[in-house]
Amino acid sequence: MDNHIAIKAENLEVSFFIQRSGINNFKDFILTMGLKSPFEQKKVLKGFNLSIKKGECLGILGRNGCGKSTLLRTIAGIMKPQSGVLEVNGNVAPLMALGAGLEPELTGIENIKLVGVLMGMSRDELKNSIDKIVDFSELSELEINMQVKRYSSGMMSKLAFSIAAATDPEILIIDEALAVGDLGFRRKCADRINEIKDAGSTILYVSHHIAEIKNICSRAIFLKDGQVFQEGSVDDICDLYEKELVKNK
Amino acid sequence: MIDDKDKRGIGSFTHLIWVLAYKTLKLKYKNSVLGFFWSMLNPLMYLLIFTFVFSKVFGDIDRYPLYALTGIVFWSFFSTSTIQITESLIDNSGVLKSINVPPIAFPLSAQLASIISLGFTLVPFTILMLLFGLEISWELIFFIPILLIFTGFTLGLSLIITSLNVYFRDMQLAWTSFLPAIFYSAPIAFTSELIPKEYLLLIKLNPLYYYINLLRDVVYHNRMPDGTNFLIGTVLAVVTFTIGFVIFKKLERGFVSQF
Repeated sequence: MDNHIAIKAENLEVSFFIQRSGINNFKDFILTMGLKSPFEQKKVLKGFNLSIKKGECLGILGRNGCGKSTLLRTIAGIMKPQSGVLEVNGNVAPLMALGAGLEPELTGIENIKLVGVLMGMSRDELKNSIDKIVDFSELSELEINMQVKRYSSGMMSKLAFSIAAATDPEILIIDEALAVGDLGFRRKCADRINEIKDAGSTILYVSHHIAEIKNICSRAIFLKDGQVFQEGSVDDICDLYEKELVKNK
Repeated sequence: MIDDKDKRGIGSFTHLIWVLAYKTLKLKYKNSVLGFFWSMLNPLMYLLIFTFVFSKVFGDIDRYPLYALTGIVFWSFFSTSTIQITESLIDNSGVLKSINVPPIAFPLSAQLASIISLGFTLVPFTILMLLFGLEISWELIFFIPILLIFTGFTLGLSLIITSLNVYFRDMQLAWTSFLPAIFYSAPIAFTSELIPKEYLLLIKLNPLYYYINLLRDVVYHNRMPDGTNFLIGTVLAVVTFTIGFVIFKKLERGFVSQF
């Protein structure tokens, strides 16, 4: 296997199993039993090909519903492909939805432990990085011991990003997660992302903010209907993205 | 049990289960000072009702409150386990959608939490049972293997309900409506000796019959658990758990599309 490849997808097919309209409970299922299958497949990624080198920072652009999140989920191992080849070399830290796994009733510090373990940190790793996480999150002693349900959404994103960034991932996935937070923290996140990048990690970055993509990424792809429509330099793809959006208005 | 895509070892998987179970228990007891008390209130209500309503009807059952309480303890373990395990997946759909964590961790941790919960309530219940005439004997040690096979059965059944519930959300409603049928056909408030011979078979179709009778052997009758019942209980547990596990593993692929 090529050592310089972080992620390689060949002819990847990923679909959703969704209920056929009209059958979404068990009662209807029983009533139509034997007459029709209650599920249909909705293909999201169709014959998807992509290869990402180690240390690359790839921006992913595309209209809503074109398969960006599904692609990221498949790479993160959350969704399984129906067919095709997917090679992922390295541990993946997904930052998919802001504050996923955070338990509102628990305090910040308890949440660090909870989400850290969910993300696959071992007991020792957690012990070693807990101070680092608190430090990075810029939350005060008082705030970190407060229930997360009393946090503002900015504070929540600080906590969430701090946990995900602490794992020193080989592949970091960011799905529109940095949209909130104050300017200072956003700059710090960008710095941390660059630090992760400089350490040789691969980054996949989904955003609708062209400026952010231009700032962070070294290459970009444009997704359309579950396939790579075009790939190229960040500037070219961003221009294409703007053109496509205007065209479809 | 661990997914191939997930690089957790068995050690950190176990750690994950404990952390999740701890979280569940903490949330359950945190927001009410009386949290622990509430988890005992429901079985106590049953006990009160049974004692008042049935001790006249079933007057010839020796130490009736103790008899009823043994049944109620297992019943509430069974019903709360199945319900909490079913809820565990839906409650954590956000996590399953955005973090690569084996879905089975949630039902397993919910089961662990309800075993620990049972452990907590056993302390006051044992005191209560002593007041009702419980005799301490060495046979009580069999409580542990009996609880083990009962848990296997409960978990297996819950895995089936849980995985179907992700696809058909009314599964949970169907199950809660079905629970009373299991309750009233199990020898919780009455003894199976009072049942006419022709209906006895019907009672024996209820899996709880075996586990509750086994528990009664050691707690109420102070004797060795019945061999045949123990064998049936074990086979039921192994078969149910295997089926539940296989169904869960088959259906978990599509979970994310349903959340």
